[in-house]
Amino acid sequence: MGFIFDWLDRKTAARMQGRIGPKITGPSGILQPLADFLKLLFKEEIIPSHADKVIFLFAPALYFLAPLLSMLFIPIIALTPTAGFDFDLLVILFLLAFAAFVIAVLSYSSASSFTTIATGRLVLQYVSYEIPLVLAIVTAAIYSRSLSVEGIVTSQTGLWNVFVMPFAFGVYVIALMAELEKPPFDIPSAKTEIVAGWLTEFSGRALAFLKLTKEVGYVFGSALAVSLFLGGPLGPQMGASVPAPVQYFAYFMVKLLAVGFLIFVLKTALARVKIAQATELFWKVLTPVSLAQLALVLVLIQGGILLAA
Amino acid sequence: MSAEPIQPKQREESAGLMKYSAENLVPFGPIHPALKEPEYFKLILEGERIVQVIPRIGYVHRGLEKAAETRPWVQNMYMFERTCGICSFVHSLAYGQAVEGLTIYEVPRRAKFIRLIIAEMERIHSHLLWVGLMGHWAGFETLFMWVWRDREVVLDLVEAISGNRIHKSMNAFVGVRRDMPEGMEDRIVERMKFLVDRARYYKEIIDTEETMLERTEKVGKLSQDTAEKLCVVGPMARYVGLQKDVRLNDPYAAYDEVPFDIIIRNEADVHALLQLRLDELVASANMISYAVQHLPDGPIRVKIPPIIPAGEHSTHCEAPRGEIFYYVKSGGGRTPERVKVRTPTLANLPAALEILKGQTIADVPIVLTAIDPCFGCMDRMSFLDTETNRQWTWSGEELRQYGINHYFPERAKK
Repeated sequence: MGFIFDWLDRKTAARMQGRIGPKITGPSGILQPLADFLKLLFKEEIIPSHADKVIFLFAPALYFLAPLLSMLFIPIIALTPTAGFDFDLLVILFLLAFAAFVIAVLSYSSASSFTTIATGRLVLQYVSYEIPLVLAIVTAAIYSRSLSVEGIVTSQTGLWNVFVMPFAFGVYVIALMAELEKPPFDIPSAKTEIVAGWLTEFSGRALAFLKLTKEVGYVFGSALAVSLFLGGPLGPQMGASVPAPVQYFAYFMVKLLAVGFLIFVLKTALARVKIAQATELFWKVLTPVSLAQLALVLVLIQGGILLAA
Repeated sequence: MSAEPIQPKQREESAGLMKYSAENLVPFGPIHPALKEPEYFKLILEGERIVQVIPRIGYVHRGLEKAAETRPWVQNMYMFERTCGICSFVHSLAYGQAVEGLTIYEVPRRAKFIRLIIAEMERIHSHLLWVGLMGHWAGFETLFMWVWRDREVVLDLVEAISGNRIHKSMNAFVGVRRDMPEGMEDRIVERMKFLVDRARYYKEIIDTEETMLERTEKVGKLSQDTAEKLCVVGPMARYVGLQKDVRLNDPYAAYDEVPFDIIIRNEADVHALLQLRLDELVASANMISYAVQHLPDGPIRVKIPPIIPAGEHSTHCEAPRGEIFYYVKSGGGRTPERVKVRTPTLANLPAALEILKGQTIADVPIVLTAIDPCFGCMDRMSFLDTETNRQWTWSGEELRQYGINHYFPERAKK
């Protein structure tokens, strides 16, 4: 799924820029991300002499686990996810923090002047986007009176959360773009300034997995948005003959792609901001907005105007 | 070269470097995604703020001035064209004008107009390239792609006129080599209108796109005093409010006959530079339309013998990057005795280093590109002693003496 997202991303960005994008590998270039991944697996792995070898080799695997595990908690083809339980939202929050922490460690372990700067920027960016992101997620959780993703999804049978708390959705998407390091927030891996940021010293298999993890993270981030705000796999009944899993899957996919497209378009249409400006944006604008949104939702619940299902 | 220098002027350019530890030093270049051409900039940082920049140039030094001394006059014209891809025509124009100044021949009027047209087209192509690059360094890939697509318009026109997109080889002694093809006038005028519209659209984007504004406003500030002291040229001078434009101050080719506006900006930041270059683009497009519609008839070239009379002459032209200066000395033979080239990037580079102090790393590619660097044009040779981190350059006399010492040890002066 990660590969498909990458392919869609590149095609959309290309068309918006007046180009065509990947074309040759597979029909319409759909196999291009897979080809890139395989190629990287075959390349030689160069470890910088100053780097901490254990972390350098071990951490990418840890990083890969985070979004992968989180996907287990998202309901896709049914209303219950593959491995859901009552507090899985907390586990997801933990895994998000864990992922960012692993990246920081990764980045610092490859001790070159570019990555050191990248680590600084990364940590700063993480600290900035973390709060609005968590607030947005928590707003959805509080409204649905549940700490499990399944609970949040089922509570949206009446009305999708995005209509109740549109600002939380907006904040979540922006914070997601910061987490995934997509423009305008691709500061820690700013290609034209610090070579590739924290990705600089990685090559071969490690790089292949880091890139794959980023793509999977992209899918997961969008999937979480869909579950928390867009009602997951729920939707009007398609027809008596359509089996439930297929229907759920179809709706989920459509919404997932919609969120994905939103991010693709935003990312292509904007320039990169400086780390100081990004921090300003998050602390001065997004955090207050998400706090206000949370307050609003609480007030509305208390006042009995909005009732959770 | 590890020989003993003979009384060189040893300037301690790296003095004070020792107090900074290796952690604060970020090497920018010579190979870096942000640089089109290799030059080495040692950035000394405190956090993300740059404290000092120490350049080391010479990575693309090709010895063109020396090579010119062994080649016939006409061959040099094509060689100097290849100093740079983006300002190639202006190089050959300046060289041509310098040599023509040594002869008794006048450039025909039609040739002057055609020279102006091609020079302005080159300016448009260069400015479009630059605007695209600014987008690229700011992370704004889409702007880069769109602008370069519009640049194809100009390149196609140039190809229709001269046969080549970049190295146009239009200049000759005395005049231009090829004439304007039939029916080009209407096509040029129409394409210029298109480009003016696109330039206006890009100006709007630069003025309103938030992320772009954040990257370019208040970045790259230079005070007018510093600019004057550092002798900046071209758009770098005009964006701090100095009225420096060779086309205005000392017209060459047909610039005294074609009306144009000089563009000056006073808010000295990169955003102003963007606006300035796009305005210049519009002015160039208008100039081209005017010149094409008022193209005089007549010959385009006067053929001259291959021996240029003795003497020395110098000219300067306004390249897209600034003032380009050529000095030519002839001994009356088939090859020049000395050609000296001073390109605008060399004049603007110290200004760039000055601007960089106090900026952050994120601004480095933007500021370095703001001067519109063309290191291929600029390079000079300098010496570096890596153990003591000392840099120095030799004068011409020292270089000559070194050569004598090397080949004729018995004549060596100690």
